[in-house]
Amino acid sequence: MRAVIKNGIGVFHPQGFLDGNSSLSMLSIEDINATLHANVDMVLVSLKKVIFFNRNGLDAFVKLFQKVRSEKHITVGFCDYDEKKYNAITKFYKDEIIFSLFITQEVASLFASSFQNKSKNVLLYSEDKSQRTAIAIELHDNGHNPIIAQSLAEFEQKAKVESAYDVIIKDTFLGQTGQKVATRVTGNAIIYTVSSFLDAEIGSSFDINYHTNSLNVGFRLFIFDAYKVVSMNVHALNFFSKLASSSAEYNATICFVGMSFDKTPISFKETLEDSGIMFFNQMDDILQDKELLQELGASSAAVVKNKRTLNKVIVTELPNFIEATVGTIEMMTNSKAYKEAAKIDTIAIADSDDKIASSIGFYGDIDGMVILVFPVNIAKKACELLIGEETDDKELILDTLAELVNIVGGKVKTLLADEGYSVDITLPRTYSDIASLMEVAQNKKGVQVDLVFNDEKFLFFLTR
Amino acid sequence: MITNEKIDSFIKKIPPAPKILQTTLKLLNEGELIEAAKVAKEDLALSSYLRTLVNKPIYGFKNEVKDISQIFGILGVAKSQQAVYAYMVSLLSPSQWNFFKLNKNNFANLQAELAVNWQKITKYLKIENKDIQSAIALLPASIIVSEALFCEKKEDVELLRTTKDIDLNTILKRLCKKDLFDICEAIAIKWEMESVIGEIVQAASGVKPSEDIQTDALGKWMHLLLFYTLSKPVYIDAGLNDFISFNIEYVSDIYEDFATLMEIA
Repeated sequence: MRAVIKNGIGVFHPQGFLDGNSSLSMLSIEDINATLHANVDMVLVSLKKVIFFNRNGLDAFVKLFQKVRSEKHITVGFCDYDEKKYNAITKFYKDEIIFSLFITQEVASLFASSFQNKSKNVLLYSEDKSQRTAIAIELHDNGHNPIIAQSLAEFEQKAKVESAYDVIIKDTFLGQTGQKVATRVTGNAIIYTVSSFLDAEIGSSFDINYHTNSLNVGFRLFIFDAYKVVSMNVHALNFFSKLASSSAEYNATICFVGMSFDKTPISFKETLEDSGIMFFNQMDDILQDKELLQELGASSAAVVKNKRTLNKVIVTELPNFIEATVGTIEMMTNSKAYKEAAKIDTIAIADSDDKIASSIGFYGDIDGMVILVFPVNIAKKACELLIGEETDDKELILDTLAELVNIVGGKVKTLLADEGYSVDITLPRTYSDIASLMEVAQNKKGVQVDLVFNDEKFLFFLTR
Repeated sequence: MITNEKIDSFIKKIPPAPKILQTTLKLLNEGELIEAAKVAKEDLALSSYLRTLVNKPIYGFKNEVKDISQIFGILGVAKSQQAVYAYMVSLLSPSQWNFFKLNKNNFANLQAELAVNWQKITKYLKIENKDIQSAIALLPASIIVSEALFCEKKEDVELLRTTKDIDLNTILKRLCKKDLFDICEAIAIKWEMESVIGEIVQAASGVKPSEDIQTDALGKWMHLLLFYTLSKPVYIDAGLNDFISFNIEYVSDIYEDFATLMEIA
């Protein structure tokens, strides 16, 4: 069984009856390795479709949790259970719970660093006072507004006014939370979240490969969300100085946001500034300032001095990229898709109204980026299988388009592996309009292919 | 991925029930066990299937049962009819399984386990209708249909399922507006099975509750029995555990009774 990965959270969905024998069969070594290699901030096991389990049945998953925690330092746990299941789990493991328990996946996502919808009003209650506090702190740190009920009676009373809260939390337990440097993409910037004490450990918890590959696929602005950082020592100082120097070779900018120097020598700030790192008080100081964003390199790719161009390998493999895209569209729509015209140039989009786009980067033996541009109504058709119902919710369509592009990326990976090229794929990005896509892609040269399915056109663009 | 044309072609290729089976079923229906056995003996494959089936450990016979008359005699009318239907379904199974890691033997084991436990359930529910007792034989057809439709799309399905928790039944429904259980019912109609068999199997999908109270209740028991069986390591290893989605809410009101009956600790 493979985990379903979405928004940085990997979720296993076992079904039926879980005992010592069945759960061992549900998780193969390949499944565990695939989970370890997935770039996720959280690994969960959903108990929504499990009607019976015993301790032996859960143990196989708890062993997976231990392995993932020790190697990746991310949050692990069970989710989607009712009160009876929650009581059973807490009874089975009592004082040895090393994992978290989230009543739903929605609740779990509140604790994930990559979760983008912040500022939720959250009513919470736990019998355990220390848990109540821990949950509230973690929610607050993640940008939410926790409201703690001090007793069950108070909780039940408040919970009656459901409309007053975005989320209501009970039967939730926070085990060890993630220590990995979480990553999320906002617009054209990559945001890393760091917390507590920054020391030599940052060298192992920061995914330098991901960072290098993000530079390779064209990201130029990296922001460290440092609101939760208490202090930094000289080892971390050296790490960030080196990171800034290596990123400068790509004309990239590194910023720190919300870093307090109460417990960190102010001379460290000066050293970091000398190496090119910039400091801001608030995230919005950067993200809401378009001019500054442009200045910092998160806008047009034109600021890149050494523009990367298509190379022979990429062009040779073009049929594989087209096949992956066409194959995915055909799989999702049951319609024949075909290529209409191809040219090598900068991206050209004839009519930019009502169009959305999504892109995915790949890196490894070869690197580059695939961009798909769809009219909104065509994107809806292409995503019908995944959405499953009629919708005009643009956010849902964009979200689903990201899933579709992720499948294209997965197919590209497989097809290239058949040719002997090993690549990994980045998280997909979406663009709600063509203007935001052009900020990234307008000066990039690549192969543009017009594709058609159901007599409707969409655009494929392969670039570096 | 899968088109309506492909589904239609699959259904079209299913042969009508062979004459010998039709006569055997007719005689069983009339309670003529000895005559039915005589006819069944003429079909060597059917005889072999019945011998293998009833001598599986789950049937619990101490001594090997070889003679078809003896088999029908021991099983009685309802179970004999169920066994003949199970044989008909097995005729649809592929010689080589690609999508699921199954073979002839463990597919037959699955049929036997479902059949024996369904007998336990119908006995518990005090149901004597032999068509209801036979309904379980059609359920594994949904697995055969999945194999036939998805065998060439295994990688696509795996890729899709790393992005979304989606089962084969939903994929089919969204693509073709028809699901696995509609196809099972079409098979039942083609084989002139009693309509109640197709109706129970439809309800057993867990997504189409029946308006008839008894059919719906039986659908719940069958849905739960299916997942009880598919939670065994051999079927999880075969990739069967999540070929359709388990609907816990649908079966919640019968779970306690089921757990007691199956002696689940």
